[in-house]
Amino acid sequence: MIELNQVSKMYGNVVGVNDLNVTLESAAYGLIGPNGSGKTTLINLLIGHFCPTLGSVRVFGRNPTKDRRILRNIGLCPASDVLYPNVSALEWVKYLVRLHGISRRQSRTMAEQALEIVGMSDAMHRPMGTYSLGMRQRTKIAQAIAHQPDLLILDEPYNGLDPVGRADMTAVLKGWADEGRGLLFASHVLQEIEAVTSSFLLIYGGRLLASGTAEEIESILADTPQQVRVFGPDAARLVHRLADVPWVDSLSLSAGRTELAVSLRDPGEFYRQLPHWIRSDGLSIERLRTSDGNLEALFESLLKHHRGEMP
Amino acid sequence: MNKLTLPLAVMIFELRRSLTIGRIAIWFILVAFPVAIITAIHLIAKIEMGERFEAEEMIEPLGMAMYFLIPEVSCLLGLLLWATPAVSTEIEGQTWVYLTMRSSGRRMVLIGKYLTAVVWTLSASLAAVALCTIVVDSPIGSELWWVLTKLVVLSCFVHAALYLMIGTLFYRRTMVAAVMYTVVVEYVFSFIPALVNKFTINYRLRGLLADWMQWDNARSQAEHIFGNEPVSTHLQLLGLMVVVFLGIALYRVERTEYPTQQEG
Repeated sequence: MIELNQVSKMYGNVVGVNDLNVTLESAAYGLIGPNGSGKTTLINLLIGHFCPTLGSVRVFGRNPTKDRRILRNIGLCPASDVLYPNVSALEWVKYLVRLHGISRRQSRTMAEQALEIVGMSDAMHRPMGTYSLGMRQRTKIAQAIAHQPDLLILDEPYNGLDPVGRADMTAVLKGWADEGRGLLFASHVLQEIEAVTSSFLLIYGGRLLASGTAEEIESILADTPQQVRVFGPDAARLVHRLADVPWVDSLSLSAGRTELAVSLRDPGEFYRQLPHWIRSDGLSIERLRTSDGNLEALFESLLKHHRGEMP
Repeated sequence: MNKLTLPLAVMIFELRRSLTIGRIAIWFILVAFPVAIITAIHLIAKIEMGERFEAEEMIEPLGMAMYFLIPEVSCLLGLLLWATPAVSTEIEGQTWVYLTMRSSGRRMVLIGKYLTAVVWTLSASLAAVALCTIVVDSPIGSELWWVLTKLVVLSCFVHAALYLMIGTLFYRRTMVAAVMYTVVVEYVFSFIPALVNKFTINYRLRGLLADWMQWDNARSQAEHIFGNEPVSTHLQLLGLMVVVFLGIALYRVERTEYPTQQEG
């Protein structure tokens, strides 16, 4: 379905994506990375909007920059919002389907079907300027699936959806994936992707750090140092306990001496020892924050692993 | 067949979404301002000249004024609003990516937007020509109307292609680029008595005006303004300009990596 061969994209001196190598069969994949990691650049390369500075991009065996007919097989739901306030969802989706060269009558039928799938049938004749953010998001999904593509690319599709909308959208996307059609779902929230697929591509700093199932990525992380932040008035008093243990890589105390960043080789040992130290030293510790709540730290760990800086 | 009618589908969509109070008001302003000026000139001339006023003698100055106000100003203002921001408004509104995701998106949208700009401006300019001709009320009014109608059609098609090209080349500060070009090239260079004015659209349109209205006096007195080439030369060069401008615009829109949104 997708073949990236040593793909790099530069914006002047800035690296958008760097040396991406991946081959994906037709299935559902989550593309996860923090903001600014290169997800949108990768998507723009896949739809032929950007030409790679180096390397080659192939989607269904074709170069999307040179052969625009391939766009008939791709549906894209970008992260950007729709801004045609006085046009109805039906008119807009029909117009976009029509731009694939599909007849007027068929475009209307396809647009109506897509809007029904995303639950917009009742509101599809109203101007989009009257829609909520969630309704606009559903309309965006409708325009992406209306021409029945083989690969659906979604960039942050849950933006603006309420919990009910999220559940409905997850059902739509799971249904799409279950049909065996291609799905690439970009998000910076792991849980959103996990609800739809268990296959991930992790991108950070323009590099593809890891790919595989959640279990495979967890096993990489198990061997990767993780950072834990300790907050509380006695955080500084933990330094003498941690300074000599072999499973601590580094310690960093904040200027206010109430936050201690600990880089750990063996987080399990840290969690076993910490309650004992708190009790015996009478420490006041308010909370701990692990890399699970700090995606950037997680990706920093993976980046170090990717560079071979960690075991 | 479906693909051939795509520019029309784009035009219908664009015209439909242009039905806003602001756009409709601009349409009426573009019609009203040349009519108001021509009416004022006509009334002042009638009052000043009194019994000496003869509509037939006034046809040349009034015709010149109508030509300047409609094909050279009104058309350009309408097209500046429609053709120039064809791509930049989609980029700023972050809707460009939705259009480029379509297999025929880029080319068909550009051609459709070109037709939209022409149709919208043409409708306002032709209405202005018709009303001005009624105001002038000359025995050769129908001849003047027919000549100005042809000039308006030519002006719309050529200037729309020019502004569309500028819009694809300068997608940031598009309006500034187009206004600068218009003032410097179409209003200054076109009056310079040198080879440079032969490359301007307005020089060609003025040549056609003098030729079709048979204003030989004006032509002999100001040859550098009205030129001395035959009608066929003017028409061929205007046609060539449309092809070149649209060709560059289409090439540019196919090849350019326009920004889509903030990188994520």
